[in-house]
Amino acid sequence: MQRLQTILPAAIILVLGIWVAFISFTQEPAAAYIFPRLFSAAFVGLACIGAITALLGKSSSEQGISLIDLRNMLPGVIVACIYVFWGAKFFGFYTGTTLAVFAMLTLYDPAPHTSAMTWIKRIVITACFMAVMYGLFALILNVYTPREIFA
Amino acid sequence: MKKLLASAALALMALTGTAQADGHGNYPDRPMMLMVSYGAGGATDFQARIVTMTAGNEDALGMPIAIINKPGAGGRVGWNWFATQAEADGYTMGAYNIPHFIAQSIKGGVEYSADSFEPIANWGADPAVFVVAADSDMNSMADVVEFAKANPGKLTFSGAGLFVGHHIAALQIEKAAGVKMAYIPNKKGGAGAMKAVISGEVMAGVNNLSDAFRAQEAGTVKILGVADLERNAFLPDVPTMMEQGLDVDNSSVNFRGVMVPKGTPKAIIDKLAATVPTMFENSRVQGKMKAGGSPMHIMTRDEVLAMWAAREETLKELLAGL
Amino acid sequence: MDFLNYFGEVFSLWSFLILLGGTIIGLILGATPGLSPTMAVALAIPFTFQMDAVNGLILLGALYTSTVAGGAVSAILLKIPGAPANIATTLDGNAMAKKGEGKKALQLSFLASLVGGVLGVLLLIFATPVLAKWTLAFKSSESFWIAIVGITIIGTLGSKSVVKGLLAGCIGMWIGTIGFDDIQGAQRFIFHPSLSGGVHIIPALIGLFAIPQIIDMFLKGRSRDDMEVIKVAPHPITKAVKEVARRTRALGIGTAVGSIIGIIPGVGGQIAGLVAYDQSRNFSAEREKFGTGHSEGIIAAESANNAMVGPSLVPLLTLSIPGSPTAAVLLGGLIINGIFPGPGIFKTDPHVVWPFINSMLIGQILMCIFGLLIAGWAAQIARVPRHVMAPMVLALAVFGSYSVQLSMDHVYIMLIIGAGMFVLERYGFSAAPLVLGLILGPIAEEHFVTGAAIAQAQDGIIPFFFTGTLNLCLIAIVVASITYSVWMEIRNRKVRG
Repeated sequence: MQRLQTILPAAIILVLGIWVAFISFTQEPAAAYIFPRLFSAAFVGLACIGAITALLGKSSSEQGISLIDLRNMLPGVIVACIYVFWGAKFFGFYTGTTLAVFAMLTLYDPAPHTSAMTWIKRIVITACFMAVMYGLFALILNVYTPREIFA
Repeated sequence: MKKLLASAALALMALTGTAQADGHGNYPDRPMMLMVSYGAGGATDFQARIVTMTAGNEDALGMPIAIINKPGAGGRVGWNWFATQAEADGYTMGAYNIPHFIAQSIKGGVEYSADSFEPIANWGADPAVFVVAADSDMNSMADVVEFAKANPGKLTFSGAGLFVGHHIAALQIEKAAGVKMAYIPNKKGGAGAMKAVISGEVMAGVNNLSDAFRAQEAGTVKILGVADLERNAFLPDVPTMMEQGLDVDNSSVNFRGVMVPKGTPKAIIDKLAATVPTMFENSRVQGKMKAGGSPMHIMTRDEVLAMWAAREETLKELLAGL
Repeated sequence: MDFLNYFGEVFSLWSFLILLGGTIIGLILGATPGLSPTMAVALAIPFTFQMDAVNGLILLGALYTSTVAGGAVSAILLKIPGAPANIATTLDGNAMAKKGEGKKALQLSFLASLVGGVLGVLLLIFATPVLAKWTLAFKSSESFWIAIVGITIIGTLGSKSVVKGLLAGCIGMWIGTIGFDDIQGAQRFIFHPSLSGGVHIIPALIGLFAIPQIIDMFLKGRSRDDMEVIKVAPHPITKAVKEVARRTRALGIGTAVGSIIGIIPGVGGQIAGLVAYDQSRNFSAEREKFGTGHSEGIIAAESANNAMVGPSLVPLLTLSIPGSPTAAVLLGGLIINGIFPGPGIFKTDPHVVWPFINSMLIGQILMCIFGLLIAGWAAQIARVPRHVMAPMVLALAVFGSYSVQLSMDHVYIMLIIGAGMFVLERYGFSAAPLVLGLILGPIAEEHFVTGAAIAQAQDGIIPFFFTGTLNLCLIAIVVASITYSVWMEIRNRKVRG
């Protein structure tokens, strides 16, 4: 497990480097790829050194990502992805953000879900924050954000 | 739950849809945006900011226009976005630069052509000029041609990029004089190309008349010729290329104006085509443009359509050999 | 001493109010992730249409100086650099804030900004004619080597391993080449349509710095451990002043590097902070404290990026050449107001130029006073518990990335790059070298390609890039810097055993 944690990322980076180099050296027009060729050569070279050190088990031990880490971060990451890739556009920025902030707040708030006070607190925090965001982006900066279903 | 939301959304859309179906009577009812495919601070950008500054007035559109810059690759990034992703709802407008986007579409590798856009109105025309550093030995186009003939391929001259107005002018000059010179496109556009001339990194350059005019006033460059059919009011003493015996017409003149994506409702195009030219004619706009040394040239939608078609033809011919 | 005669203009009631308002708004905008100084100044241009030329330029000058300093606020408190200039500030500033010394970090940053900023503007006032010549000395080859000098510090910046630092730099350079190639118009590495506009630096910055942090906060789950509220340590201003005065070396290196790099058109502002940070670490007696919340790191970075502001206007005012994206917007602002920059500008338009420069001087002082006033209050952000902080930072990141070009693509790119950076960070890579590659790669490429084209028309590539005193000096710095990195790596390995 520990070995895999160091070898896998090194291998992925090596593959990425080889892919970048492959494209740089095969695509036309060549004039547009002079610089990519230069740095991708360095990229592959360094990635090889990285991969060899990892294989020999000599790379310094890093934090890595454990299964507990994964279990803890997954709910938040999933909500974030739904929010960014779908919710923000579908509900419009302000509604989408309100829902996402509230959802994440609920997921990670250590306070007990049974008390009414916690829910009121969460609602108040979300509302205050959204008021600030609306004031800053809509009123001061005049940014026109998507508001699909409310268009 | 999802179904419920979707149907609610549909109902809402239907509601607002019926309210607006009759010819977009209350258009525009929210702020609009104008996409500029060059960076903030460039000539196209600040001219766009000037000509749209009165958009919010009641006699113009009645709603402000926000400028959004999408710079990159000589304008390709912005126009690609405009042709493929911009919403054709009348609230997303774009600034065009002729001959740039037509030349790029002829060259290929982009997702737009003159057919992807609907012009609204033209606000300015900025001819390309040939400049050398103030301390250069060359004092006329004849000197330039003479040097280029004696040293083929050695005369370096800068411009804003490939397949933009400056490049077209450069190609025309080379063709007319029958010489080979080294055109050095600059990534930073006109400002970067001008810096290369002033610092002596290149021997000469093709640049915007408005920028070159200011640089000449500042005493850093000399302007040797204008690539237009007649002399310009800002530079009455500088002869045209034709006057100097080079057969260069006005194909490279940089026309700037406003357009919308294809598919924008006809009623909205008509409304914009009627209002926008009068917005450009506003005296405050004219005053600011003059103070900034930017030549104005207002054209209506029909005139622009004719101009686009004419440019497309001459550019196809010019670029055929490349 | 001409400029002294024009101070009156700045202190007329209306102008002073604009200056004060511009400074405060600039600080707030600068502190908002996604709003770079360039955007803030561009947003203000329409407002200048309603003012006379002098007041319009006072507003722009005040905004420019205060947004650069304001960027430090979000860099320190949220670890999100407001603009490339503030990247280096996150390294020690955020570490210090995490220890509960946010107030101190903000005070140091504002005081260092003041010193750097004022010296930079004074340089602009007194040395412009000399500096203008220096600007023109940087042609393609010199600019290329400057970018390479910047790239060589990648290896030692923030990573434990030189190889991993350099690899992160390569990944950054690769991300920088995604999109249309600027000269040929070829589409490079566009494997998804959202990438066709390339990776804009601001969303990338937000993603690289904000997202890994957010995921880190998620990682701890709903547990209550280490939830004890961080106390924000009180820190009297006098103590901060003494601290800044004591760190003369960091202050000197920061100001010198900032003003020298600021003059170089195109490279300057973005990397001044990082180069100064790296240099001041190299010369510091407490090298190992850098990155852990060391005051020298903050002072060097912030004095450098504010010292850059004044000199970056030299090429703009005297040659009409904008040295940075923000300067390009200022040039537009000058032209719209009928002022054409050029060597004679101080003679032809002194009534506009001097109030403009003076306003930047006064603006620096107002910015510092206001910043110190809010420091203690703003530092309370560190006390916000992480389950509240994470969603809020994410929302700010989304809104900030979106408002750069009103584009959802930027939001998607921000999240994906950020998630990738989180994984990389868990395996010993860090964001600073990646960002440096992302910024410097395109600059190096631009000057290499232009230089090569000119060289081919003249005497060939080798003499073009390898002759000339300035080129040779820069090459010497490159060699020295690489040697230093290699030596560091060998020493590290020995220590590690």
